[in-house]
Amino acid sequence: MNRISKNRVAVCIFTLPALLVFTVVVIYPISTTFYRSFFKWDGIGEAEFIFIKNFKNLLQDDIFYTSLKNGLVFAAVLVVLQIGIGTILALAVSDNSLKGKKVLRTAYFIPVVLSITVVCQLWLQMYDADNGLINKIFEKIGISYRQNWLTDKSTAILAIAVVNAWQYMGYHFTLLYAAIKSIPEHFYEAARIDGATRIKAHLHITLPLILETYKFCLTFAVAGGLNAYANMLIMTNGGPGTDTYTLTFMSFRAAFQTNEFGYGCAVAVVLVIESLLATLVINRLVARERITY
Amino acid sequence: MERIFTKILGIVLILVMVLSMVACGSSTTPDSVSTSTLAAATTTDSTTTPVEQPVTLKIYAQYSDEDTKAPYDYAIAAMKKDMPNVTLELDILAQDDNAKLKTYAATGNLPDVFQSGGDIINTLKASNNILMLDDQAPTADFKSKMQPSAMNTLMNSDGHIWAYPYAGNELVLLYYNKDLFTQFGVKVPTTVDELIQAAKTFNSKNITPLSIFSKEKWVGVSLFDCLATRMEPTGIRKLDTNQGKASDEAFTWAAQKFAELAKAGLFQKGATNTNNDQAESLFLTGKAAMFLNGQWEIATATEKMGDKVDWMAFPGKDAANYEEAKNNFSGGGGPGGYSVSPNSKNKDMAVKVAAYISFKYAECKYTTRGTPIVATKVNAPMVEAFPPMMEKLAKVIPDIKSFGSFDWNLTNAKFKVAIEDATQKLVTGGYTADEFVKDMDKAIVNANAE
Amino acid sequence: MNIISKTNKLEKQNIFFKIFLWIYFVISLYPIVWMAFYSLKNNDEIFITNPFGFPTHFRVENYLSATKTFNIPVYFFNSIIVSFFTVVGTIAISLLFSYAAARMEWKLKNVARIYMIMGLFIPISVILIPLSKLLRDMHISNTYLAMIIPYIAMNMSFAVLVFYGFLRSIPFELEESAYIDGANVYRTFYSIIVPIIKPAIATVVIFIFLQAWNEFTFAYTLISNQSIKTLPLGLLFFQGKYTTDWGAMGACMTIASFPMVIIYLVFSEQVERAMTVGSAVKG
Repeated sequence: MNRISKNRVAVCIFTLPALLVFTVVVIYPISTTFYRSFFKWDGIGEAEFIFIKNFKNLLQDDIFYTSLKNGLVFAAVLVVLQIGIGTILALAVSDNSLKGKKVLRTAYFIPVVLSITVVCQLWLQMYDADNGLINKIFEKIGISYRQNWLTDKSTAILAIAVVNAWQYMGYHFTLLYAAIKSIPEHFYEAARIDGATRIKAHLHITLPLILETYKFCLTFAVAGGLNAYANMLIMTNGGPGTDTYTLTFMSFRAAFQTNEFGYGCAVAVVLVIESLLATLVINRLVARERITY
Repeated sequence: MERIFTKILGIVLILVMVLSMVACGSSTTPDSVSTSTLAAATTTDSTTTPVEQPVTLKIYAQYSDEDTKAPYDYAIAAMKKDMPNVTLELDILAQDDNAKLKTYAATGNLPDVFQSGGDIINTLKASNNILMLDDQAPTADFKSKMQPSAMNTLMNSDGHIWAYPYAGNELVLLYYNKDLFTQFGVKVPTTVDELIQAAKTFNSKNITPLSIFSKEKWVGVSLFDCLATRMEPTGIRKLDTNQGKASDEAFTWAAQKFAELAKAGLFQKGATNTNNDQAESLFLTGKAAMFLNGQWEIATATEKMGDKVDWMAFPGKDAANYEEAKNNFSGGGGPGGYSVSPNSKNKDMAVKVAAYISFKYAECKYTTRGTPIVATKVNAPMVEAFPPMMEKLAKVIPDIKSFGSFDWNLTNAKFKVAIEDATQKLVTGGYTADEFVKDMDKAIVNANAE
Repeated sequence: MNIISKTNKLEKQNIFFKIFLWIYFVISLYPIVWMAFYSLKNNDEIFITNPFGFPTHFRVENYLSATKTFNIPVYFFNSIIVSFFTVVGTIAISLLFSYAAARMEWKLKNVARIYMIMGLFIPISVILIPLSKLLRDMHISNTYLAMIIPYIAMNMSFAVLVFYGFLRSIPFELEESAYIDGANVYRTFYSIIVPIIKPAIATVVIFIFLQAWNEFTFAYTLISNQSIKTLPLGLLFFQGKYTTDWGAMGACMTIASFPMVIIYLVFSEQVERAMTVGSAVKG
């Protein structure tokens, strides 16, 4: 038996396609990105090695700080809205006596399966200053809170983040719901004896038991925020001005618009480091040990 | 009960989809923009003339409003007769300040024929992604057909030809709805302060003072250039070529007034997310009193609004400045038009098509769109007489001594991006003149740093 | 979870939760319903007379005018081709790799597995700039392959994680008895392992299909050829076009959205499971 499972030819046949594709399409380009971040290069002509000058320039660049800030704001909105609302809904739907559970779950998830282009176009219409649904609703209930949602620099990034939060809330909801459902009944027996209220029971029993899922949701939401690109590309194209730029946006602009390919790579490198840092921090903050039932 | 709900929902959805699919099927030529000129023409001609190899070329061109659709359709229709073996596949130009075209170049995906101009020529030239047309077959003929006054649109500053131009020295006009001005007793402004007053009056009557499609960043740049050319006739060109600073008086004043105008509510809500269609329809339907666009808007505006519409000389700093600067225009031409990718598999045919289309564009604009401002001389008979607004403009044109610049004719890529972003921010009203001047001065230094 | 005795307080909580659930139900669905509604209205109804409600005259002509200039069947077809081959490719090579990593003996197998999983931690847009050059050098830019190959590579890390987890949980005795019967490693893989992990395959298929179907950033940057654009790109087309004709825009978006919604309604359990498994292994 051992001989067969050690079959070297078979190991090669099984693993080489995957290793090859992954190396060529993912690892090689990302090494290029790192390598090129030390060059002054327009992407096509001669490259000049300038070591960390790109990174130094980055620290002087106002757009870098705007982009960095927007990534963090985006991530924060996603965490609060997706995980916050997702938690409340998941806890409420997990009540066995609730009617219409399946309908609710289905409804929450539908936005997830839509194309991002549709979602962004739809929200562009909803945010329309004159005819959009949102301002119309404010108008109907008589609140004079009409806004230029996407063209005011203080609301634009939030407005875009809300769109992403809306689309993927159902995803987080489904994850949290599945996690809650997998907790065995007997964990709540003690609470029943205590006569604790349901909110208390959830706070003390449910939430600690699904920390692993929270870890994933957090990672997913934060990564989604830091890497946001398509939403602003479709909805504001980074505008007004550079007010809704993110690091991805900035790196593409440098590489494809101002012919600073090396600079764009430097931005991308910062993005990789930032994402890895975020993952690390989340893993540290949220308890590591898996709880077994 | 839930199951039933889901199922019913599902069935309804399927029904609707089937319906919509039927609707799809019934439109036999859904892709109206890609033109197949092959089938009809060759079958009849094949007996008499030798059949040329069918060629399909990719073309990247504007095709969004009447002014860009009409010439394209006109040129395609003419090609059907003159070059029946050529099929063009249109990739519609994205209003993204050439980001897409640069991506195509960087990834080796350049279409065979594409529209170019301004900094994109320099960028593509540096990376060998644009074909030099100096010695190409159609060039001599094309050159001989050029309008002498428009030679600046053919020859690049390096003395070479990179594109076959069709547009002449176009310019930016401030259009206004005469009826709305009379109706609300607003004087046509001659100074910027009067413009601010007008904005306030129109706002109080629930009329958008000036509709602007600032989703396209060039419009903000043009408005800034209009203001800057009041005191500096070369406008933003001076900054582009690093001969001036944003902190110079003319530009600081322009920034201050721009910010004041935005604050006074000159633009419609959500202006930086409004596209051409939306802004234009505000003006054409009488919901906006003024509109900023190139002179190419004359045809559409006249057609939709008749004699209700006119253009005004841009308001000045004061009465004296108004008189002095009323023939300073923002705009002007630059090298640009249809270019060819050096990597095209059918290079010769692509060059021929580029020259042909540019020539037909000029013909169409001249004879049917009421604009004499084209690159080449036109011999075809007039279809539409020049509208009054154009007659008025034609009287002014000989007195124009110099132009500012259109965004797309700027030559420094970094400066161009910076001023696009900065002027778009000015439109929002949430950006001060001081910030503008500071950011732009920094950007100019940065853009010219080696 | 009927664990807490019913008190007044509990009743109140229940009502609060119920209201919240249904409010969010509306928030989730109403924008989509609103879109479907206005796809059947004209601008006047959308802006002034009937912005919120059910369409009074069904303006089917919006759908006609949308489809006339908007080439939906082609975009659909392209999306199907790209998603299908992405799914097949990813499943095939990830499954092979995971099998070798989970159930065969070789040096460096843990290193290789961790290497493959690194893809989950890389912001994928970072590779886009060099990748676009690479595809050109491979002479596949602007072909279906220019989407399919990157999509396969991007989704492999996830597939490997799922398959590895499943494969480790199967008892090793299964293969041993197959070997004793004289089957070789390929046969064992094909006729013993693959049938067992069918549920895992189904899960990964749905997950990757959704990913490939909705992918936007790569396709936007890499594809210029009108005839191979996928649906998310095709829908961008009307950004410059129908912007003042909301009805037609609504019609376009509605047509484009229905297939996904239907697939979800039919396979909702599987789709949700696919997502959940994703979290279990990623977290």
